[in-house]
Amino acid sequence: MRARPASPAAARVPALEIRRLTKSFGAVRALDDVSLVVESGTVHCVLGENGAGKSTLCHLIGGSLAPDTGTLRLYGKPYAPRRPADALAAEIAMVHQHFSLVPTLTVGENLRLLRLPDLARRVDRVADEYGLTLDLGARVADLPVGVRQRVEIVKALLREPRLLLLDEPTGVLDPVGTEALLKTCRRIADRGGAVVLITHKLGEVARTGDTATVLRGGRVAGGGPLAELPAERLVPLMIGRSADSLDPALSGTIGLTELTELTGSSMSKTPQAPADRPGPSALRVHALTVRGTDGTHALDGASLEVGHGEIVGVAGVEGNGQSELLAVLGGSRAPDEGTVAVGDTDITRATPRQRTDAGLGVVPEDRHHDGCVPALSVAANLFLGRLGQFRRAGLFLDRRAMRRAADTVLTAHDIRAEGPDTPMSALSGGNQQKVVLARELALDPLVCLAAAQPTRGLDVGAVHAVHSRMREAAARGAGVLVVSSELDELLALCDRVVVAYRGRLSAPVDPHEPAARERIGRLMLGAAAEDSARASAPTVAAPTLTAPAPADPATPADPAPPTEAITPPTPPTA
Amino acid sequence: MSAVLDELAAGGVRLAVPLLLASAGELLSERAGVLNLSVEGMMLTGAFAGAAGALASGSAAVGVLTALAAGLTVALLQAVLSVTLRADQIVTGITINALALGGTTYGARLLFGDGAADSVPGFDPMPVPVLHDLPVLGPALFEQSALGYLACAVTGALAVGLARRTPWGLAIDAVGEDATTADRCGLPVRAVRYAVVLLTGAVSALAGAQLALSEVHAFSDNITAGIGYLAVVAVIAGRWRAWPTVLACLFFGVVQALQFAAPALGLHVSAPLLTTLPYLFALLAVSGLVGRSRAPAALTVPFVRGT
Amino acid sequence: MTLSLAPPRPLSRLRHPSVLAAGAALVTVGLGAALVVAAGTDPATAWAALEEGMFGSPYSVGTSLNSAAVLALIATGFSVAHRAGLVNVGGEGQLCAGGLAAAATGLALPPQVPTALGVPLTLVAGFLAGGLWAWLAAVLRTRRGTSEVITTLLLNFVGVGAVSVAVHEEGLLRQPVTSSETLPQSEALPAGAHLPLIAGAESPATVIVAVAAVAVVVTAVVLRFTGTGLRLTAVGHSPSASARLGLPVARLQEGGLGVAGGLAGLAGACLVATAPYVLAEHFSSGYGFTGLVVGLLARGSLIAVAAVSLLLGFLTSGGINLQLAAGVPASSVQIVQSVLVLLIAATMLWSNRRTGAAT
Repeated sequence: MRARPASPAAARVPALEIRRLTKSFGAVRALDDVSLVVESGTVHCVLGENGAGKSTLCHLIGGSLAPDTGTLRLYGKPYAPRRPADALAAEIAMVHQHFSLVPTLTVGENLRLLRLPDLARRVDRVADEYGLTLDLGARVADLPVGVRQRVEIVKALLREPRLLLLDEPTGVLDPVGTEALLKTCRRIADRGGAVVLITHKLGEVARTGDTATVLRGGRVAGGGPLAELPAERLVPLMIGRSADSLDPALSGTIGLTELTELTGSSMSKTPQAPADRPGPSALRVHALTVRGTDGTHALDGASLEVGHGEIVGVAGVEGNGQSELLAVLGGSRAPDEGTVAVGDTDITRATPRQRTDAGLGVVPEDRHHDGCVPALSVAANLFLGRLGQFRRAGLFLDRRAMRRAADTVLTAHDIRAEGPDTPMSALSGGNQQKVVLARELALDPLVCLAAAQPTRGLDVGAVHAVHSRMREAAARGAGVLVVSSELDELLALCDRVVVAYRGRLSAPVDPHEPAARERIGRLMLGAAAEDSARASAPTVAAPTLTAPAPADPATPADPAPPTEAITPPTPPTA
Repeated sequence: MSAVLDELAAGGVRLAVPLLLASAGELLSERAGVLNLSVEGMMLTGAFAGAAGALASGSAAVGVLTALAAGLTVALLQAVLSVTLRADQIVTGITINALALGGTTYGARLLFGDGAADSVPGFDPMPVPVLHDLPVLGPALFEQSALGYLACAVTGALAVGLARRTPWGLAIDAVGEDATTADRCGLPVRAVRYAVVLLTGAVSALAGAQLALSEVHAFSDNITAGIGYLAVVAVIAGRWRAWPTVLACLFFGVVQALQFAAPALGLHVSAPLLTTLPYLFALLAVSGLVGRSRAPAALTVPFVRGT
Repeated sequence: MTLSLAPPRPLSRLRHPSVLAAGAALVTVGLGAALVVAAGTDPATAWAALEEGMFGSPYSVGTSLNSAAVLALIATGFSVAHRAGLVNVGGEGQLCAGGLAAAATGLALPPQVPTALGVPLTLVAGFLAGGLWAWLAAVLRTRRGTSEVITTLLLNFVGVGAVSVAVHEEGLLRQPVTSSETLPQSEALPAGAHLPLIAGAESPATVIVAVAAVAVVVTAVVLRFTGTGLRLTAVGHSPSASARLGLPVARLQEGGLGVAGGLAGLAGACLVATAPYVLAEHFSSGYGFTGLVVGLLARGSLIAVAAVSLLLGFLTSGGINLQLAAGVPASSVQIVQSVLVLLIAATMLWSNRRTGAAT
């Protein structure tokens, strides 16, 4: 960060001043009369649930969108970006939620795209000041997400920005990476820069922020110095109800559990009692291996078992094989080795249709891309896989019957849509996810439900609905597998949690044991959890939090032991 | 035998020179994400305007200038349609070619009447001393016209000067791979696309002028006869990389020259079969049966700024 | 400082498709008149010739309808593939493949073959060959991920080349060479393979008009009212979600592009089975590309396919008469047609915006 003259007069001019910003998309008002002030030398957090307007605000400051009304001032001067280049020229740097890196170019080429003078010197300086080093020759597409995030941040810092905006930057980071990023933010602010941190995680806010603005439904719900805004006050501002009314899983999704544990209070956990059912387990994954195109192992002998009536979570930093696991389960990717069975049916190489028939429901990670067809109606999305049931005169589609059936589902699942003919894309994210879930839960028989990031991007109400549905499915005897990057959500929701690390799955951890969070945290970093791997010979590497980030390609060979021997699920005591 | 070989090499290079020039431009367009099917139209317009300019002024050099102006005009039309108005690039490409064919045919009737364009001022071969005496390659490479040497120089300059390791080349690749990211890096996405399309128009017009002013010193209806499409195909066969595209152009040139040399070699090869060979070759190259190939990710995708 | 407010949009009424279409028509009519005058023809004479060529006689109407039918077949196929998310640029090549197969089949038939057998066999051969030609590209797409835009484009040139080779080689389809004057084309098909006329001896309109009409209607019904139509639509919007829902994505895509090729091949067969009943180089007269343009402009609406096909079909045959009767250069018709297409393509964004598709 460039040293700024610290004259008192200059210090009083806010770094960024937003006055009465409004932005609508069609009939939807994404931002409504939003004002906020960011002082230089501070980290200003913009908090809010998904859909509260955080990203829109970010795009308005960054010049990707233009506001309908309202003004911005940057260090006292009027600022009206018409394109991202204007924001860059005004010395604003952004770290986007979705990376802005050209995947087919190398890291060095991506940095050169910025066309900055003295690039090498700048790269060295960022490495010195922030400890962020990069392999300039690596192709971005070959890098794990954590490293890409680092490239993205270095890219922002190279410009020596006056204002740094980060949009949900920690979603793809492990605990150590998150900690490092938050420290970097702090350091930038301490040197006189201004940082806007956009997040929905209260824990991050409490650790890093100086001031905060809370958005709800596109409006400013409140804000001020964080010293005067403890979590008890932030939560109602964010979600419109008090923290006490949230169950632990919900608290987890807004990073509240972590916070309350930090401050010493604890929340009660209400584990599900799984239905006692004999016979084969609901889902059995054995020694699954998936090789990437470059010969690396996306999945490397992963094994897992989900019993009937049980909810099993898969934790881990993104990019450790979770996506591939779900792809194999859903049938979009064939494993190189290993087997998958649902109930007593082997589905390793089954078509998606055969998987459905075997009783496997899948909620894909990318809802818009894999989970539904946004351009088609809700009814079509519900019944696309079984249109044969809606025939008229042998040839034609009986749309009326489809509509009726869809109406029933909409009511049963409390899905807010104008009607069964509404295009999926017109629904909110939460209602879209409810449609997907309703469709997958309607399988008969439903033996197992596998869901990836089922609550990502949803507001608290929808999260609650999704959690309830998954618990109900388990209560009815189905096995439920949940992949999530929200550890707190998993801890509160699951009967057992396994950790994905470099394509392997750890032995399960009981989330109700006292130090479960710490153990899982260590497992996410690749440390072997000696006690949980008792079935196999423990080959232990240094299990410390100071280990290099798992995403770093320079990390020595994987110390995690193979975890083939998984004991059958034992019902946890309530 | 050696005479046949000479002729084959010379004929191959002669056909390859305009092809090289046009595909050098097309490669840039496609790398930036614009499938510029209108190269054919740009070449044809260039050939026509070159002939008209040369005829009117009596100077071949003026012909080159009018060719450039005409090529840029067609390119501007293509750029406005596909970059600003985001019209379908396949429709605009094919239709601009039809417009160019109709327009030049109509114009030729109007301007040249009967036979006036059968002989226009052009460029004569300028053998390079010593080098043109080399066996086979000498007559092929070093007995070209001034415009021919210029064409080779421009092709080389584009290939080297806009390679990915140069700042401009890198910008072009970024725009064609991921326009949103390029935009967020502060690159002027639309301006880059305009620039490459205009550049393609200029070099394609030069290629057209080379056909009309260096080789036959005349303009006839549809003089390009699909060379522009062949340039697009060469880029595909070269899998969007510079040197393989150059090789594809040379190969296509030699295959075409074989049509004329085949009888002398005592070969019976169907001429239409030889004409088709480049397309089959490109099909093999692009189908992944011979190694892997990947088009720029944003090819034919117009850029809209959004979230 | 206040940024530009949401602008009032007095222009939005101008964005109605019919306004745009009228504007485009005006511009092209003006341009056409200018070209006619510049070529030294009296506009009134030219207009009379154009009108005569389009509607003046049963002959001209029949010719126009035949052209429109060929375009409609190709554009209908294009719409089917487009529904499945594939862009079929290869109408020209598929048309050539169909024509080639139809000629080979027709010429292999005994000279006395009855029409009830000869015509169906010829047309089916054309459909199958065109479908196979497109299916090649579809398989490359579904198995190897090669863009069908590029493969179908390349297959065009291969198809045109194949026809060329076939009519140049005596061992293949070329008529016996008796002198240096012998044209590189096939012998005439036997009478049993000639498409029957449907509007009396005055009009050249053949069953192709009925075939095209049936194809348009059946396609519209299938796409709109059947499960197959919905499945194709789903695959077109999201192959990965469709796969997840158990739809046979590869089969639907291969089928969609196969049908597109088949209809183009059928069009090619019809061209060969219409007077002068021979396969010759350039027998396609660029129909494949024009059909593609019709498909792209119609944007999935089969009503639009029919309308645009008729418009271009009548314009084409009117243009031919313009050359013959008024001596206007053929190129001026080509200019007017391309400008019309460019205008429609250019204003598409504008008319899209009006319907609020901007988000």
